[in-house]
Amino acid sequence: MSIKNPDAIVVGAGWAGAILAKELTEAGLSVVMLERGPERTTAVEGAYPDSVDELRGAVRHRLFQNMAKTTVTVRNTPDQTALPYRQLAAFLPGEGVGGAGLHWSGVHFRAAAEDLTLRSTVVERYGEKFIPEGMNLQDYGVTYDELEPFYDKAEKVFGTAGTAYKVNGQVVGDGNVFAPSRSDDFPLPALKDVYSAHLFRGAAKEAGYHPYSLPAANASAQYTNPYGVQMGPCNFCGFCSGYDCYMYSKASPNVNILPALRGNPNFSMLTGAYVLRVNLDDDKKRATGVTYLDLATNKEVTLNADLVILSAFQFHNVHLMLLSGIGQPYDYAKNEGVVGRNFVYQTITTSRAWLSEKQFTNQFIGTGGGGVAIDDFNCMNFDHGPLGFVGGSPIWVNQAGVKPIAASGTGGGHGAPRWGEGYKKGLVNTYKHAVAIDAHGSNMAYHDIFLDLDPTWKNAYGVPLLRMTFTWKDNDVRMNRYVVGKIEPIMKALGAEKYELGMKKYGDPFDTRFYQTTHLGGGAVMGTDPKTSALNRYLQSWDVSNVFVIGSNAFPQGMGYNPTGTVAALAYWTAHHIRTTYLKNPGPLVQL
Amino acid sequence: MPPSHLVPSRRTFVKGLLGTTSFWLFSGHQGWSDALASNADSPYSPAYFTAAEWRFLQAACERIFPHDDVGPGALDLAVPEFIDRQMNTSYGRGEDWFMAGPFQDGPANLGYQLPLAPRDLYRHGIAATDSYARQQHGKAFADLAATDQVAILTALEGGAVTLGNVPGRTFFEQLRTNTMEGAFSDPIHGGNRHLGGWVMLGFPGARADFMDWVDQYGPAYPFGPVSISGETA
Amino acid sequence: MKTFSLALAATLALATAPVALAEGLDDPDLVKQGAYVARTGDCVACHTSLHGRAFAGGLKISTPVGTIYSTNITPDPQTGIGTYSLEDFTRAIRAGIRKDGATLYPAMPYPSFAHMSDSDIRALYAYFMHGVAPVNQPDHPVDISWPMSMRWPLAVWRMVYAPKPGPFVPTPGEDAVAARGEYLVTAPGHCGACHTPRGMGMQEKSLAATDASYLSGGAPIDNWVAPSLRNDPVQGLGTWSEDDIALFLKTGRTDHAAVFGGMGDVVAWSTQHLTDEDLHAIAHYLKTAPGVPASGHYTYDPSTAQTLASTAPSNSSGAGIYVAQCAICHQNDGSGVARMFPPLAGNPVLQTQNPASIVNVVVHGGVLPPTNWAPSAVAMPGYQHALTPEQVAMVVDYVRHAWGNSAAGTVSTGDIRRFASVTPSESTAGWNTASNGWGFLHPQPYGEGWTFSPETHTGADEAQ
Repeated sequence: MSIKNPDAIVVGAGWAGAILAKELTEAGLSVVMLERGPERTTAVEGAYPDSVDELRGAVRHRLFQNMAKTTVTVRNTPDQTALPYRQLAAFLPGEGVGGAGLHWSGVHFRAAAEDLTLRSTVVERYGEKFIPEGMNLQDYGVTYDELEPFYDKAEKVFGTAGTAYKVNGQVVGDGNVFAPSRSDDFPLPALKDVYSAHLFRGAAKEAGYHPYSLPAANASAQYTNPYGVQMGPCNFCGFCSGYDCYMYSKASPNVNILPALRGNPNFSMLTGAYVLRVNLDDDKKRATGVTYLDLATNKEVTLNADLVILSAFQFHNVHLMLLSGIGQPYDYAKNEGVVGRNFVYQTITTSRAWLSEKQFTNQFIGTGGGGVAIDDFNCMNFDHGPLGFVGGSPIWVNQAGVKPIAASGTGGGHGAPRWGEGYKKGLVNTYKHAVAIDAHGSNMAYHDIFLDLDPTWKNAYGVPLLRMTFTWKDNDVRMNRYVVGKIEPIMKALGAEKYELGMKKYGDPFDTRFYQTTHLGGGAVMGTDPKTSALNRYLQSWDVSNVFVIGSNAFPQGMGYNPTGTVAALAYWTAHHIRTTYLKNPGPLVQL
Repeated sequence: MPPSHLVPSRRTFVKGLLGTTSFWLFSGHQGWSDALASNADSPYSPAYFTAAEWRFLQAACERIFPHDDVGPGALDLAVPEFIDRQMNTSYGRGEDWFMAGPFQDGPANLGYQLPLAPRDLYRHGIAATDSYARQQHGKAFADLAATDQVAILTALEGGAVTLGNVPGRTFFEQLRTNTMEGAFSDPIHGGNRHLGGWVMLGFPGARADFMDWVDQYGPAYPFGPVSISGETA
Repeated sequence: MKTFSLALAATLALATAPVALAEGLDDPDLVKQGAYVARTGDCVACHTSLHGRAFAGGLKISTPVGTIYSTNITPDPQTGIGTYSLEDFTRAIRAGIRKDGATLYPAMPYPSFAHMSDSDIRALYAYFMHGVAPVNQPDHPVDISWPMSMRWPLAVWRMVYAPKPGPFVPTPGEDAVAARGEYLVTAPGHCGACHTPRGMGMQEKSLAATDASYLSGGAPIDNWVAPSLRNDPVQGLGTWSEDDIALFLKTGRTDHAAVFGGMGDVVAWSTQHLTDEDLHAIAHYLKTAPGVPASGHYTYDPSTAQTLASTAPSNSSGAGIYVAQCAICHQNDGSGVARMFPPLAGNPVLQTQNPASIVNVVVHGGVLPPTNWAPSAVAMPGYQHALTPEQVAMVVDYVRHAWGNSAAGTVSTGDIRRFASVTPSESTAGWNTASNGWGFLHPQPYGEGWTFSPETHTGADEAQ
């Protein structure tokens, strides 16, 4: 049953959309959620044993975006012609109810306090000249203390499993010594360490670092969240990333929020509804609603509402803003405008240690969010003064479950044969005895890294594709090389028979053929200055006050941590301010 | 013997009507039923590849993934059969990729830009490689000695050889990728015959439950693999 | 024929207790009360087709001789019951006689409704006339060929087996809470329609708890066996507390049970909407009803878990299949996950003599109905594609005798084969139980395989 005149429209049925829809319906609003992909339920997508099929899952991308219909174009530098991203590889956007939130891994972090105020912190410690020319380093406009209650709420909804360090200023456990204090412990205790993580923990300690359990939205025990929905205990099946969890352990919008939403008569979801644009009034200061394409009938439908939430994923949000004329598009040549500016990603490399023949790492055993990490070289936790770069990386073992087809790509590691003679020996030895250690680092924003509309290619619906101009910059390569060097003592402490440190090389361009992460960010960032942000600190458009844009598009730079925890906290933060302030008096929440 | 008909139950059929793109769609089941019905001991007859292409595939896949003392090779594992079946899926028809024009060349790091679906890439690539083989050694690829076959594949991988409009490396990577998939995917897709690929790696297959094994530190997981259809090795 | 039914109708009309005058029927409070009574009677689950408009009928009910469809009971004057007077309405519900005098198929549980109170029926009428949106939807014609389609035998059945409509009389000596519970269970709740075994004429064998057969577990209906609701510790609710029963009806899940089959609809569309007082009244009645001879005693056997811990997953033994397919959720010790994956150790569903339910769940899977208090529609996959009939038989036999479970008898591959080849809403001919020997021209309903349970909404319809 579809609601004809909703109070609010939510575009996208992922985490951000589900959180906003839940909050708005609690506030008494009627909400229509529009999702361009299909319905997805655990009963169907997670039906065991059919669902534990590596080929159909992570390789043929069953639950991911259907690239045939729409994609993006990519180039490394502004003087190049961008070409279509025709095959899923480097980043893997989701589609359908739950979005990427259905098939993500589950690593669930709070931002480091300084991540949110990175510019101020860098300037304070190292001076403004420390920031390289062309880097758009910015603060979020919101502090960790302001977001803390919403991080807490999100963790309780997700059922996040972890070990806290400080609660209300008191040390309560051997959690991450670099993490800021929390108002409450994790809702669930940390997941057990798999063997690789266990070895890493010991070796990291021996190397003088401070290991802690990765905070994971994979339930470590049976759990009922504040919405009454249930999660089962994770059994480390190893079919986490890219799959729908049949145990109901991996948090997803489908498991954690939508069951409580679906029963509400004020909530209605339409699938197969591809939003073409947000419609604005003549002044372009107010949205009247959206126009979407009903994919079943191929007819355009206009739906009006007083409040529009864009929560379609980072780059889809930016795309919609550009197509709808919300905010001034970024003009690279003039260095003016904000929509498309500060496009960021993740600087990640993998290192590998080979253990003895007696040590079987059983890499197929894993959980998406589980593992052990160190933050000694993340964010502002170390002295950057002599190092000459901004940013940092957590270092971790995050064994989500390595399966054979993926392992066949790794083979025996760098330099080992990729096929033919000697290949299988290296492959088997690596699969049985190796440990993978990631440096999962920050990625700064630059003047010449941005998003805009492609002049040539259109999608199946006649809409110009979004164009990404992106490559790796020396600052981030330098950061990566420094941090990965710090893995070496861990390798030695592991007693590895052989190891290789995976470092980025200066000058290597961004390669769309190899998986990085899907932690794209920026493009419509939040901030306190409309000249450098598209959204104010409540993720409200500076220009169109009844449009809120929720997602990692709000991040002015990519942090070392995974983004979902902060996206969820920002979603709850925004919803809180819509409920307590905006709805009483619709209009700009920040006056300049 | 598994049940011979695979009509989805009403409940799942109704869900299919709701538009999910999951494996419950009937065509997926048909593929499964075909795979189960085909007996590994009777010779497979390719549905897509011609006889000459089939000979090429059998030779090339075996060179990429040879039988050796580590374990079975591509022919043992029915990898060519897997690839042939894949050509009749949405993947093989290129329906999973963005295949709208225009098509322009670009640097390799910006990814695949050819207008060819996998099935077309194979058709073109195999013919061109055979031409190249005849040109270099006077015979079709399948008739060459193993060392010559390896040399040709190495040349393709190295990027110096162009197969008409198709960079040799692009074709080689397609072949290599599908060969690995055929060795290691669940046997319902036609490859990994008798779970030989999984046995070699010590991968438990569609087991997906390690609750009792998380904190067993050091020893190998002791149980053999199980496939989605319940086959064990 | 017509004279006969008219005479019958007249007789029964005289026998019916007079109902209060039809005035004040659009009072909003009365309509709201009627909406609640409709929940206790679960009218909506049968009288709404899959994805259909509420109460507009059209739900398929399979029988061995064809299909019937539920009727439109919205107040539409042409296609619904808009022209029914309060008397017409009362006669249909309590006596099973339509406005035109024909007898209803006893898929409509009028033998239970016979004892619904005047005030409940009046409120129900007010609701259906003034609280339900009229829907113009003609009734789907009954899909039964002649001669099976003749209706007059239904009237014969009614005369022979249906109780005389009259006021509900609680069991003497019962406290007030149990009396309320007994009313809800016996009259609007019509629990006996599924949970009481049926006799040769397919009538419920008994209608009161003084008879040990009452609510003692039904014959297979749509290949589900509605378990015993008596206090038997092995096959009934003997180990359940009153709180367990109330929670089960409210959410469909407790620490040691998960609702499945047709009962999923009952929880989703009816009992989850009842007040806590009424749920506890039902629970109290069931737990204080007269005892029945115990069918045994359950003791947990820890050796099963030990065996399974060192059993390799395989497809060639019950234990191996259990480890490969079931232990992931139900655990080696059979304890499941509280309120999500029900325990198998000591579970009455596994220990009924007739294994239809557990086979049905293994072959077709199941989904917990989402409720307001527990919205997760937790699902179990069906195994008909992953397991052969032999393997299903092996693993079902295994769990029926593991952890101290003491089910009688074994399951044969032939049973599973027959079972797996039908969809969940069709019936099979029976499970190694003797046929009752009825011949071709039976007064309807008759014989094994008659179903009173329509296709289930659970898993197919979204949560309300």
